Amino acid sequence: MIALITIFVGIMIGMSLLTMILYIFFAQITVKKLRKNSKTRDFLGVEYVSGWDIINVAQALAFPLSWSLKIENSKLSFMHAKASLLLENTNIFDRILGCVFYWFMILTGLFGITIVILNYLGLLSD
Amino acid sequence: MSEILLCNRALSPQAFENQCGIDIGTVSALSCTKPIMAAANTPYLVGDNSSVNRNILNQLTPEPVAKSLTNLSLFYGGDNVVALAEMTEKLKDYNLGLIGASTSVYAGRISGFAGAVQDYEVALMKYRQAVTSNSSMKNSAEKMVNKAFQKMQGQFRNELNAVTAQIKAKRGIPLNNAKRSINIAKSSRNVAKLDVTSQIQANKIVRFSKQAKILGNGLAVIDFASRVGNVQNSYQAGEKWERNLFIESSSFATSAVTGSVAVNVGGAALTFLVAATPIGWIGLIIGGVAVAGVAAAASLGVNSIVKDNAGDVYDLLMKELIP
Repeated sequence: MIALITIFVGIMIGMSLLTMILYIFFAQITVKKLRKNSKTRDFLGVEYVSGWDIINVAQALAFPLSWSLKIENSKLSFMHAKASLLLENTNIFDRILGCVFYWFMILTGLFGITIVILNYLGLLSD
Repeated sequence: MSEILLCNRALSPQAFENQCGIDIGTVSALSCTKPIMAAANTPYLVGDNSSVNRNILNQLTPEPVAKSLTNLSLFYGGDNVVALAEMTEKLKDYNLGLIGASTSVYAGRISGFAGAVQDYEVALMKYRQAVTSNSSMKNSAEKMVNKAFQKMQGQFRNELNAVTAQIKAKRGIPLNNAKRSINIAKSSRNVAKLDVTSQIQANKIVRFSKQAKILGNGLAVIDFASRVGNVQNSYQAGEKWERNLFIESSSFATSAVTGSVAVNVGGAALTFLVAATPIGWIGLIIGGVAVAGVAAAASLGVNSIVKDNAGDVYDLLMKELIP
């Protein structure tokens, strides 16, 4: 009998690996293009660490437009990529890729947090 | 506490007594108890030859460790090396898994701190060069040391206190006392003294001497270095290093993804909060710290769980793939 935590950790490792592969693809296909474009270059959000703009762009493409507009009108809009501008400068494939990458990454991260909470509550130990 | 002496060139008993003020007959190396001459790059123990002290000596004696430790101790001063070793270890603790949350206020501060310490080290190094070559730049180099010291003290007082609290040195350590480090850099001695308080500390010093140049090149590098170090250790010990590589890399990957997501979600949540409520800057700062804390807790949590269980996952995969 395989322990529950082993299965969860295995799934988490697999998901993380896939997230990282999607991250590289999205960076090379979409973000590289936006970084070179002088219209979008300065609107990719705050880069806390090198490469964080990739996550900003993915978020802008993945959020529903109503959410993105709320962010753009906020005082903290400078932290995020400007969604309305990015939507004009990307094609449908970019948007689908961004959406898949972003939500899969969020799912992976939330799964990781869930494992921590379940483990903390003692529900994963036999 | 063990007193360790290190020389950068061979010394006759007379020269040894002149420089250290003690008779060479009272010290012992790992291989001999009463040396006739002090050899270069060899740690000597002063006084009490207890098993704890022998163990410390045993850790510090291997050739590459002893050599780089001698140079580092003469360069920075013995107290400074002990302090830096403690600090690097602390920074690693902060960083373990924090890489994902390196966006957070706190991790940004820690890398700023590492940067300030490194600036101070570089200034001291330049000063040492100016003194040994007797260049006219000596005074301006000394000013640079003081400036770097002021900056480090002014901005990172709390971190310095946390790091140096455990280190007890008679004359104050160079991290709290710029004058002391300038004096150490100025002196042209061939012998450095290390006060090692425990075997654990000796272990930290050994690790520090192996990766001294890494501090400051970004915290991710430190984290990677310690993870790569774990893999290399198991390789050298003839264990299953592939299994260890799997554990280290998967715990790094999972904790990085989890930390990044926590920061991203937290950042978006804060932004919505700002848009929806009249929350002020104070509230924002509290919110930012909370996000950083959650991100750190989440990624550290994932790191430790994956570290504990990735070995089983590896075994399971191997069993399925190679029946």
